This record gives sequence, structure tokens and C-alpha cells, in this order.
Amino acid sequence: MALRELKVCLLGDTGVGKSSIVWRFVEDSFDPNINPTIGASFMTKTVQYQTELHKFLIWDTAGQERFRALAPMYYRGSAAAIIVYDITKEETFSTLKNWVKELRQHGPPNIVVAIAGNKCDLTDVREVMERDAKDYADSIHAVFVETSAKNAININELFIEISRRIPSTDATPPSGGKGFKLRRQPSEPKRSCC
Amino acid sequence: MALRGLAGAGPSSHGPVDEVVAAVQEKDLPAVVAAPGEDEEIEGRSRGLLRWDGFSAWLHCVCVVGFDLELGQAVEVIYPQHSKLTDKEKTNICYLSFPDSNSGCLGDTQFCFRFRQSSGQRMSLHCLLDHFDKDLPVYLKKDPAYFYGYVYFRQVRDKTLKRGYFQKSLVLISKLPYIHFFHTVLKQIAPEYFEKSDPYLEAACNDVDRWPAPVPGKTLLLPIMGVVIKVRIPTCHDKPGTTQIVQLTQQPDTHISVVLPTVHEVDLFRCFCPVFFHSQMLWELVLLGEPLVVMAPSPSESSETVLALVSCISPLKYCSDFRPYFTIHDSEFKEYTTRTQAPPSVILGVTNPFFAKTLQHWPHIIRIGDLKPAGELPKQVKVKKLKNLKTLDSKPGVYTSYKPYLSRDEEIIKQLQKGVQQKRPSEAQSVILRRYFLELTQSFIIPLERYVASLMPLQKSISPWKSPPQLRQFLPEEFMKTLEKAGPQLTSIIKGDWIGLYRHFLKSPNFDGWFRTRWKEMTQKLEALHLEALCEEDLLLWIQKHTEVETVDLVLKLKNKLVQADRDHLPVKPDTMEKLRTHIDAIILALPEDLQGILLKTGKT
Repeated sequence: MALRELKVCLLGDTGVGKSSIVWRFVEDSFDPNINPTIGASFMTKTVQYQTELHKFLIWDTAGQERFRALAPMYYRGSAAAIIVYDITKEETFSTLKNWVKELRQHGPPNIVVAIAGNKCDLTDVREVMERDAKDYADSIHAVFVETSAKNAININELFIEISRRIPSTDATPPSGGKGFKLRRQPSEPKRSCC
Repeated sequence: MALRGLAGAGPSSHGPVDEVVAAVQEKDLPAVVAAPGEDEEIEGRSRGLLRWDGFSAWLHCVCVVGFDLELGQAVEVIYPQHSKLTDKEKTNICYLSFPDSNSGCLGDTQFCFRFRQSSGQRMSLHCLLDHFDKDLPVYLKKDPAYFYGYVYFRQVRDKTLKRGYFQKSLVLISKLPYIHFFHTVLKQIAPEYFEKSDPYLEAACNDVDRWPAPVPGKTLLLPIMGVVIKVRIPTCHDKPGTTQIVQLTQQPDTHISVVLPTVHEVDLFRCFCPVFFHSQMLWELVLLGEPLVVMAPSPSESSETVLALVSCISPLKYCSDFRPYFTIHDSEFKEYTTRTQAPPSVILGVTNPFFAKTLQHWPHIIRIGDLKPAGELPKQVKVKKLKNLKTLDSKPGVYTSYKPYLSRDEEIIKQLQKGVQQKRPSEAQSVILRRYFLELTQSFIIPLERYVASLMPLQKSISPWKSPPQLRQFLPEEFMKTLEKAGPQLTSIIKGDWIGLYRHFLKSPNFDGWFRTRWKEMTQKLEALHLEALCEEDLLLWIQKHTEVETVDLVLKLKNKLVQADRDHLPVKPDTMEKLRTHIDAIILALPEDLQGILLKTGKT
């Protein structure tokens, strides 16, 4: 079976749960007292997708502002970027849009973008409506899921969807949806989320 | 302090690469909480505590050396902040991290240096890590007395600065001689560092801190700043001359991963190219530990050439000191350049013209010009007379009055010349040259190995009730006699005065180092065989025939042996230690109770 190495980076505000998503995906565990990431941490996990093995080389970047300038090193060469926001903090959704802009300007041309609205277990204090986030994601042809690293909701699904969107090595187009066309995108739809 | 990555490092674990990485990650979090470093506490951070054990297995520290108009070169940053360097070490690092002013070196330059560790400090962690050393080939083992410095130097015009130039070096200080690997790491991180500075360094060091331990024989995934470097550190069990290139996947994208075919090898052919006709003579000079100086236009050339020289006698270890880049400010400058004694057995790489004068009395000098990408070979075939070397402007070549013992192998020269005509890539030429040196070294060393093996006593002379028998003495004349029938002529077509070469070699530091290692290995083997013989005895039967005092004495001796075997990693069969423990326990139980209590306590820590 063919093994493909796929670089994946996680982007998003500090504290939205990027590391927790990776930990849930790779180790199937959750630690509420995780330390903020320095620079980026790296993990791998190999999954089977159809006739291929996808080895995800996951770069989980630091959300803190002082590491902001390092981001290009992590999305450079990435097959996919997972941008994470916290459904209970509206400002993290605005940060997400800035990441989309940055990827559009400087990211790899065919990068698959996935948007993860994390902490969906905390619906009581929700600030970002699922519908709004979904519409936004659709408008930029991004994968969208609401996730909970804590309760293991939609974490594997997120990565399966990424596998589906990544163009297969042979020339035939993938069965899943379209790739994320950053550069040909008309202007981003103007809508407020909440 | 728990050492991260150890679990995956044991000899029993041969898991796939993912597991190695996962093992590291897995233990990351609890450990972060468990071991707060002093500095982190001072800074009062409740988050992002860095544990530096993983880092220390690879690097001692990272330094940034800049130029201060008033102070000259100065260490601007040391990372991690708690790393200890003495003032003397700092001074050495400062001077060794910058090219000599005559070198020019505009743009980016990479090179490497080696310096002596100031005595009497920090042993703790290195001791812990030493068990990785035991599976390494002898020439890759750490030298406790020396550090390597791997430098990425940038010098560019900058009108905004008072000096008119931006001059800075990013320097990795490490005990590990993995030249090619650290060269690659620096190439990966230094250019970005010069753009982004501090958070960048913090992030990079943090990446290194999470690397799996440098275990020989495994494919290691080493993530650094968005790229994964894949390497395999060789082991002493690898067949010499084979590079076990780690598995290549189809991905050539250097933004994702970089696969290194070697951690330590230099481009041998490119380095030997300027003095190509003398390769075999240089091999003799290195083998014999002759004082040798390489005068080069810049530190990158001096360091590559010195490292190429040192590696040409592999798998033999070059046992004397060598300095890929040596300056007039070095703390050993006086010691090495004094005229009151014969020149020391060292190989120095220098760029300062001053050395042409200082080292005039040295017997062998290699002058090289700019290293070209192996395009053409120098025409000069003759060795130059030493008296013709006056200044650093003298022509490239080897200046010596040394007469080689062996006659030159014209075949290899023809083969490489043909390669140059056919535009064979430098890597392929290096492979040919490396194989040639390897065969030469092996032809030379096999008769010695064979003779030394014959010094081992016969198995039947090992008795469990006597101390292990002694190794027979090494008698040079006896060895020379073996050469008639089993000399290098069996494996090498090269003619010449092999006997003379051996006689000279037996007096050299390289022989001394090699022999010590063999002697130690054989002594340990004897100890191990002795221990195994003891385990096969019926000790309970023995104590029935002996007095209580003798039995107590036996228990204490056996306990001692256990401790020693453990400490020295004696090459015993796997179950021997366990058997011995069972024996000891059985004997103790056969003794009166009061004695049992005492004996169970002794030897336990």
C-alpha cells in the first residue's frame, strides 16, 4: 500500500484547543491542564484512506502572538491546514478569518483548509452560531466541523474529511468535494457571524 | 530526573518510527510538571516549562555571537539560559565562531570547530547518556574532554549599522560529532533566525528538547521548525563502508522532510581534491598521528579538510587532538605552537596568515586554495619542499619531507581521474575514495586484530575458582613475525615497506588508543566468561564443603562481581546476571539467620 506523508498544520488563537485536538486524534486522551505550546509541537499518525496510507505529519502551532511570525514555516509545504476557533469566544472566530487571509496570500496554492469549531460541548456559553460558521466555511470551500476534544466529538471525522479532500496521487480527481481554491476566490463574502 | 525517550531506547524495543516519536510525546506532559528547571521558576512562569533533558542529549547549548564595536566578538545570547559555560569556554567560542578578518566570507558561511572543555564540571547528565555511546562505532563516540561548535556565520552589508556590516553567528555547541547532521540543522534554522530572532530560537530549542534520544541504529524523526529531518546514527554492528540510508519515501519536498544519508560524513572527494595525488601519503600521516596543519582561505575549507583527514582512517579512531578551525586566540595556542618542544601530534586547520610563520617548523603542511566543486584536478604531482613555504600566499600543495612507506596505488588515481573526465558526481567519487581508504585501513589493521585476538587465553584455562587468567602481553617482534604469512599482502596489492609502517604505527597515539580499547574489551570478555563459568557451578554443593567464613567471603565476592558487571556492561549472556542473583540468594538462605540478615543488607544501596 502506498504511504504518503502529508504535512498538516493547526492554526488559531491561543487557548482554542489546537493541542487538545491533536492529542485526542493521536493519543485519544485529554488533559484539561495542558500547557501553552512553544513554537510548535509535532506528532504523527498514520491512517488508512481507501488504498493509501496517509501519514499525517502534524505541526501544532503556538497560538500566542509572539510566535505569530513563525507560522509560515509550518504552513509551507502543508497539504492541509486546520484552523481552530473556540465556539464560546467570538474573537477567536475573527482571528480565524485572518488566518484564512494569510493562507490565501502566502500559503501553498492547493492547501486543503479545514475549520474546526472546538469546545462544542460548551453549548451553554456558545458565542458563534454553527450556521454562521458553516456558511463561511462553505463560501471558501473549506471543510467544517464542530468538535470537542474533551468529549471526542468529530475529531477523527475531521481528519477523515481532510484525507478525502486531498488530491490522490494518481491523476483522477478525488471522490470528495472540491479543493480549496484560495487564489481564485472572489472577494470573501461579507457577513457578520453574530 | 527521568530521562525522556529512554523507554524507546532499550535494546529490546524495535518499534516503528512512529512509536519512537510517540514515546517521546507521551511522556512529555507529566514530565513537564515533574521537573521545573531553576530558571523557569525564577521567571515565575506557570506555563510552558521547558525540560532540558531531551535537549541536552543533543546539544549543550546554542549561542549567538555578534560583534560589539567596543568589545569585539561577544556572546549575545546563550540558550537555554541556565547552560553553563566557563569564561574561558566563552572566549574560545567567541573567537572560533568568526572567520579571521582576512577570510572575507561575505554572505553566509558554515564551518565547524572543536575546543577543549574546561575541567572539573558538569558530569551528571553526560554520564546518564553514556549508554548510547556503547553501540556507537568507536570514531563516533563522544570525547568527554571536547565540545564541537557548529557555526552558521552571516556577514552582509548594512548601512544602518555603525560598523557598516551585519555580522553574526548562530552556533550549536555539542558533544556529538555529527557534522553533516548539525550542518543541515543550521542550514534549516539559521537563515530564518537572522530574520526573526528570539521567539524563533526559543521555538527551535523547544523542538530539539522534544527530539527522541540519539539512539544509534534507529531511524529518528527529528522535527525542527516545520521540517522533519530523518536520520540514522550508525552502530558499531553495521558493516563498515555500508551506509544504511534511511528509507526514502517518494516525497522530495524539502518543506516537509529532509532525509540525510549520513550524520557524520563529509564530502571526502571535494576535500581531498586539491591534494588528490597525495591522498595515500596523507592517509599514512594521519594513521601515524603526525603533526599536520591545513592552511586554507576560510574556516569552511579548513574545517572540512581537517574532518576529511581525520575520517580517512575510519573505522580506526583518530586518537590525537584535531582542530578543524584553530585561531591565534585559542587557549591552546601557546601549547601547540611552541618551538621549545617537537610539534605535537595534532591536526590543525588555520586561516590566519600569521600561522605560516608560527608553524614554519612543522613537518607537514597542506596548503589549499578555494575548494572548487570538484570540477578539475590539480596538475601538480610532486610533493613540495618545506623551505619553499614562506607565506600563506604560497601555492596549494603538500609541503613535507616525508617519504611514504607504501608505494602509491596508481589504480585509484586513474579511476578518480576518469571520474572527473566523465563528470561523475562528487558524491560518487567520494564513495570510491572512501571505499579505497577503508580497504587500505582494513588491510593494515586486520593483521593487528588477528594477533591481538591470539593474546586471549584459551577457554579451558578459565576456572570459576581462580581469578580470570591474564591476557598475554603484546610483543612487537612476535607480531612482526606473523606478518610474513598473514600480513596485509593477503588483502592489498599495494607494495612497499609495510613493516616500517607498522613499526612507526606501534609508537603512535592511534595505536595506543586502538590497543587500549581492544585490551579493555578483551579483559571484559574474560571477566564475562569467568562469571558465566561461576554460574554453571553448583555453589550449594561447594558451600557444604567449605567453612562459614569462606561462604560469607564468596557471597561478598559474588555481590561485588554483580555490581561490576552491571557498571561495566560486561558482555555476559542475557540470563547470567539473573542466575547469579538466584545463586547468591540461595547461598544466603543456607546460612544461619543472624548472618542472613547482615548479608542481605550489604551491597544494597
